[in-house]
Amino acid sequence: MKASKILLSLALYLFIYSPMGNYLFAQVTVVDSSLLDRVTELEKQAAYKKPGEDHFMVVGLTTIGWNFNKTTTTSGGVGQTLKTNSFPDDANYEFSPMFLWRHGSKFLMEFEPSFSSGAQLGVNWADVSYFACPGLIIRAGFFVLPFGIYNKRLSAGWIDKLATNPPTAGIPPASDFGIEVEGGFPFGNMKWNYDISLTNGNQLQADGEIQGIGSVDNNMNKTVTARLGLFPFSNSSLEIGASGQIGTVGDAGAPNQSAQSKAFAFDLNYVKLFSPILVNIKGQYNYVFVSKQDYINQNDSSIYTFSNKTTTGFGQISLRPTGASNNFVKNLEIAYRYSNFISPSGSMWGQKNNISEAALLYWLSWRTVLKCAYQWNNSNSTAIGSIGTTVQSNTLFIQFSIQL
Amino acid sequence: MFVGVTFLGCKASQQVSAKSGAQLWAENCQRCHNTPSPASFSPEQWETVGMHMQTRALITDEEKTKIVNFLKQ
Repeated sequence: MKASKILLSLALYLFIYSPMGNYLFAQVTVVDSSLLDRVTELEKQAAYKKPGEDHFMVVGLTTIGWNFNKTTTTSGGVGQTLKTNSFPDDANYEFSPMFLWRHGSKFLMEFEPSFSSGAQLGVNWADVSYFACPGLIIRAGFFVLPFGIYNKRLSAGWIDKLATNPPTAGIPPASDFGIEVEGGFPFGNMKWNYDISLTNGNQLQADGEIQGIGSVDNNMNKTVTARLGLFPFSNSSLEIGASGQIGTVGDAGAPNQSAQSKAFAFDLNYVKLFSPILVNIKGQYNYVFVSKQDYINQNDSSIYTFSNKTTTGFGQISLRPTGASNNFVKNLEIAYRYSNFISPSGSMWGQKNNISEAALLYWLSWRTVLKCAYQWNNSNSTAIGSIGTTVQSNTLFIQFSIQL
Repeated sequence: MFVGVTFLGCKASQQVSAKSGAQLWAENCQRCHNTPSPASFSPEQWETVGMHMQTRALITDEEKTKIVNFLKQ
């Protein structure tokens, strides 16, 4: 009996500690399945957010507003006044999402379509950039030309201190198809940057104006546009720049095939805090010249010519009390811009134009702004058939702009 | 050769090289727009935005790296 008990105990001992016994007598943990589902979902989200080679994001901007305009046109001593208003501010509204695709740290694709003035759907830029090495970015596609600083850096509604673009924005045409190299370098306490593009260029129109030719060139000569910028102070408060553009604008095989356009620009950008006021000064001057050509008057078929020279520029200043203790006051800003535009006398589009614009801004955030602006625009025609005609146009703008 | 020497000879002074990302952020971003809040974008997004900004503002490579690292903190 005693031996059988010992044998039974031994058998039981061996069974309990055998793999079968461990399995049968192991503690069973009861897991809440909803908790498991939640953990799985969180792991998926964490994996999606982990840094990877590719990254896609959408940013962009919206500018929308209202304007009221009173224009008085006086010709031959007879004046005519027209009052109009526009919601969403026809000349300046813009809905422009920007799509950015990054592949690693070397490639960036940028695409910004735009729904803007005149209910037009256009493209601000569509390009791919390769960050080759420090100081060298290579870009190809449809991009803003390196001429001055306004078009490439200051034209967005949430950046521009005033409600409108200055005349420099379109003289010469702002964007084109081609390739570009750019970069920035330190230079002791200073720094400098370069930006050079090779593009299809512009086309000389029947009246002597030039406009972008688009994706199919009108001749075998490409247009070179370049800008050099210099920061003479170590705090980057001041940048001065010089730009140039040269290209053939005549159509191949046409009588004006040798027509050439040359343009120059100088720009200045100064931003400095003189506590408690942030002072912001910007300016640009453009000069565009097209070589001497004969033109045909579409009204009477007569041949005429003129010195095809256009100059335009702007200077602006804005003040913002960023050092004020009152939160409302520190988000206010006042701005003023004077612009000038002179197109060729004796052409079909000659005029002398002076524009003043003042604005009061309120910053709702660093990238959201409400503007109330007033513009005085006076022009005097020097064009064939309308010499002496004056146009006085005053406009009130209420504008909201946000970058997202 | 002159162009090559000009490019290769470019380097920042010690004073400039010692600048922090925060200082570079304050000095460079406000040239065009208000200084952005670091909370506006995620770290991954700041990498992409930084590349886009470098093509516009033409800041140096070192400046871009320091500014983006500051904004990602």
